[in-house]
Amino acid sequence: MDAIKDNFQKIVSQAKKDGVRVELLIAGGESISIGYQKRKLDSFESTQSQVAGFRVIDGANQGYAYTENLAEESLLRTYQEALNNAKTVQSKTKFEIPLTKPGQKLQTLDVNNTEDVPMNEKIAIAEKLEGLCLDADQRIQAVPYSGFSQSSHFKRILNSEGLDQEFKQSFYSGYSSALAKEGESSKVGGERFFARRFKDIDVEKVVQKSVEKALSQLGAERPATGNYPVVIDRSQFPMVVAMFESYLSAQEVDEGKSLFDKKLGEKIAGAKFTLTDDPFEIRGGGLRPFDDEGSPSQKTVLFENGVLKNFLTNLEYSKKMDLPHTSNASRSPASSMGIGSSTLVISKGTQSLEELLKMYPKVIHMTKFAGGLHAGYKETTGDISMPAEGFLYENGKKVAAIDQFVMSGNVLDLLKDIEELSNEYNREGSSTICPDVLVKSMSFAGK
Amino acid sequence: MIVQPHILTKALDAALSTGADFADIFLEDTYSSQLTVLNAKPEQAIVGQLYGAGIRLFFGHEIVYVTTNDLSETGLVKAALNAAQSRGQGNAKKTMPLMQVPFDSIHTFGEKPWEMDRARKFRWLNSLDTVSRARSSHVTQVESGLNEKFQRVQIANSKGVMAYDERAYTRLRSEVYVEKDGMKESFYDDEGHMGTSEIYDQVNINKIAEENVDNALRLMTAQYAPAAEMPVVIDNAFGGVIFHEACGHGLETTSVAKDASVFCGKMGQKIAHESVTAIDDGTIANGWGSLNMDDEGNKTKKTTLIENGVLKSYIVDEMGSRQTGYEATGSGRRQSYKYAPASRMRNTYIAAGKDKFEDMIRDVDYGLYAKKMGGGSVNPGTGDYNFKVVEGYIIRNGRIEEPVKGACLIGRGIDTLGKITKVSDDLKLARGMCGSVSGSIPAAVGQPQILVSSLMVGGRAK
Repeated sequence: MDAIKDNFQKIVSQAKKDGVRVELLIAGGESISIGYQKRKLDSFESTQSQVAGFRVIDGANQGYAYTENLAEESLLRTYQEALNNAKTVQSKTKFEIPLTKPGQKLQTLDVNNTEDVPMNEKIAIAEKLEGLCLDADQRIQAVPYSGFSQSSHFKRILNSEGLDQEFKQSFYSGYSSALAKEGESSKVGGERFFARRFKDIDVEKVVQKSVEKALSQLGAERPATGNYPVVIDRSQFPMVVAMFESYLSAQEVDEGKSLFDKKLGEKIAGAKFTLTDDPFEIRGGGLRPFDDEGSPSQKTVLFENGVLKNFLTNLEYSKKMDLPHTSNASRSPASSMGIGSSTLVISKGTQSLEELLKMYPKVIHMTKFAGGLHAGYKETTGDISMPAEGFLYENGKKVAAIDQFVMSGNVLDLLKDIEELSNEYNREGSSTICPDVLVKSMSFAGK
Repeated sequence: MIVQPHILTKALDAALSTGADFADIFLEDTYSSQLTVLNAKPEQAIVGQLYGAGIRLFFGHEIVYVTTNDLSETGLVKAALNAAQSRGQGNAKKTMPLMQVPFDSIHTFGEKPWEMDRARKFRWLNSLDTVSRARSSHVTQVESGLNEKFQRVQIANSKGVMAYDERAYTRLRSEVYVEKDGMKESFYDDEGHMGTSEIYDQVNINKIAEENVDNALRLMTAQYAPAAEMPVVIDNAFGGVIFHEACGHGLETTSVAKDASVFCGKMGQKIAHESVTAIDDGTIANGWGSLNMDDEGNKTKKTTLIENGVLKSYIVDEMGSRQTGYEATGSGRRQSYKYAPASRMRNTYIAAGKDKFEDMIRDVDYGLYAKKMGGGSVNPGTGDYNFKVVEGYIIRNGRIEEPVKGACLIGRGIDTLGKITKVSDDLKLARGMCGSVSGSIPAAVGQPQILVSSLMVGGRAK
């Protein structure tokens, strides 16, 4: 018997005496990160982590505590703190919070790669991510951010119902961010990669895209202020999805925060918009055989041809709101239970990006949000004011690089105004797998 | 003390065993607590412990960094050896005898977070709900939280420095949601400081609740901000986020050493209007971004970054010092042991000038008064920045008039610095969280009110 299981069983015995139920979520992993600067190895990081988080359920109340010290006495102390917290809070839920029962069938996901790649080959990838950028064009002045990482993660859930299951995965990832300069104009272009196997890493492609993005924006100017049709690039549409993703949570609906409240079954997005939560999507960053309370994962259609079909639920909110259980419990060992997506997948259209850019006489191809959501989005109202970069197209031809403008609107209008989707997907590893999206009109503040 | 000196010496010797010319160990034992009240009920309570070490080795300009949760002698020595063997092939060096730096805190803390009665904490949070609902019948929801963190840090390095520090961060946050005629709005505010929670017995937290409600209701009637370049008066306190984003990040050696800052090679040059003097100060007692020592064991300092428009200093950590030749400024910071330290801001502000706020407003025919700023971001390589205005008003004919919503300000740092034409005499600081390469850290921003002669306001096109 392993030490974690042994210690947990002692805690379950104590929990029975305390008249409560208990769940333990342990997450952690190892990673190596390598970075180059000015053609020299600049940083080599090797990290390992493990966090144990208890959820104690006392009827309808839930208390949480976590620790990074997994020694027996530390785990017992942490359980006691979670118990105290459960006795402190007063939930508005009126029933006993369910826990996942053991014995349910899980889909096998074989993504824990154990291949042994020599360190010098990993270092060579990091070297190329910087060096090839610098070699690509004399206007590339520096590569301020680049790096290669190898990561392996695990997540294990045990509960007092007898559940004990674990998921392990490993992957490679990296990025390259080139700084181009010409005259007074300087621009940064970045690209990332994600691969399950080392041989699938295509450094040259990452570098080429990074350099191309930086160079193509040199000399960019502000567009004229006005309303334009916009194609939101497939690399950026995940940020749009992040704006409305929380509205899909049954918990947000229950708390009155979701702008999708009372819209189930209504057509609230463009007719070509279909969105699915897919925990088995191998290209996605949210691959998982079970959710964060251990329930077997399942696929859920959220939008079908523009119609809102489902909200995401966990065991508590499925029961509370009488909605289908979608296995979307989401938490880390250090946080409370919530609801979150796995990988969101938007169905592709039939036309190419080039065809989308021809659909109006003037179209803005928005290729980069220049700031985070915290600096330009308000979840309560759905209002968007995001700085961005891109290109102006006239009759399908690129006529200017544009930057230093703000794209504004409301996310509900944006969804309604989705007209077309391209037939190509963004890169692997993203939390949202999506094509380019043509939106009928957004406001642009420029010159 | 988290780990005994003889164990640290063994671990440092292991780190130096393959030719590293410097090594340090950062140990951390942090208590954290998050309490939430939702709709007058104690909804959530989470407590936790961060417990681990980060071991850093310098091989010239190369950094090797490893972390471990095993703080036993075996665990630390093993992690240090792994770090050493991952890169080095040179001769072993020895750690200088460790000398304890006296722990002399500039801060005053009260009861530790785990010692204070939790009911007292929930009372503050509940009062935010009560006051908010009493203010308006349109309030539909109040969510208030108290986050506390008590960080104990021990640092030892191969030069023989051994230091200990305690940091206590407390932050009270409240967000109110209002609904009227089918429209929803919200507004939030917070109070935070380096210290423990007993301060809330003295602070008028009712003011937070009342202002949140008033602001949320005001936003319901506000029109969208216009989209145009115009003069902008930015308020004091959190208005200082403009300097933080527009300039501060570009002065960190994390960017400068990579030639990835627009301020590279500009030391001693005029980079801002002569009315601008900017400070980064880690020495303010109980200041949100203050430190007794930084996360590299160096005593923190007050650093003049810009004086009358001239660049006087970068923000420099130990590796930044090696790479650029500038002296370290006690600015090596990190979120936790999980991150290697990097040069980061502490309490950063534009110093008070001589202008009067009323005169600034009077000088503007048509512009924006950005009273409360939200979050922002910057690309240090280009200096392009943006941030959200959460409370704004149109200035018309020298008077503050109707409220506007949905505004964001964008620009290039070095351009904006040259367009700050007036600086008021009313300096205030405010707390924020700053995210960068070494994680999310508490950093104060601040300024007196400033007038920027022209800024791009991203609102809605007509």
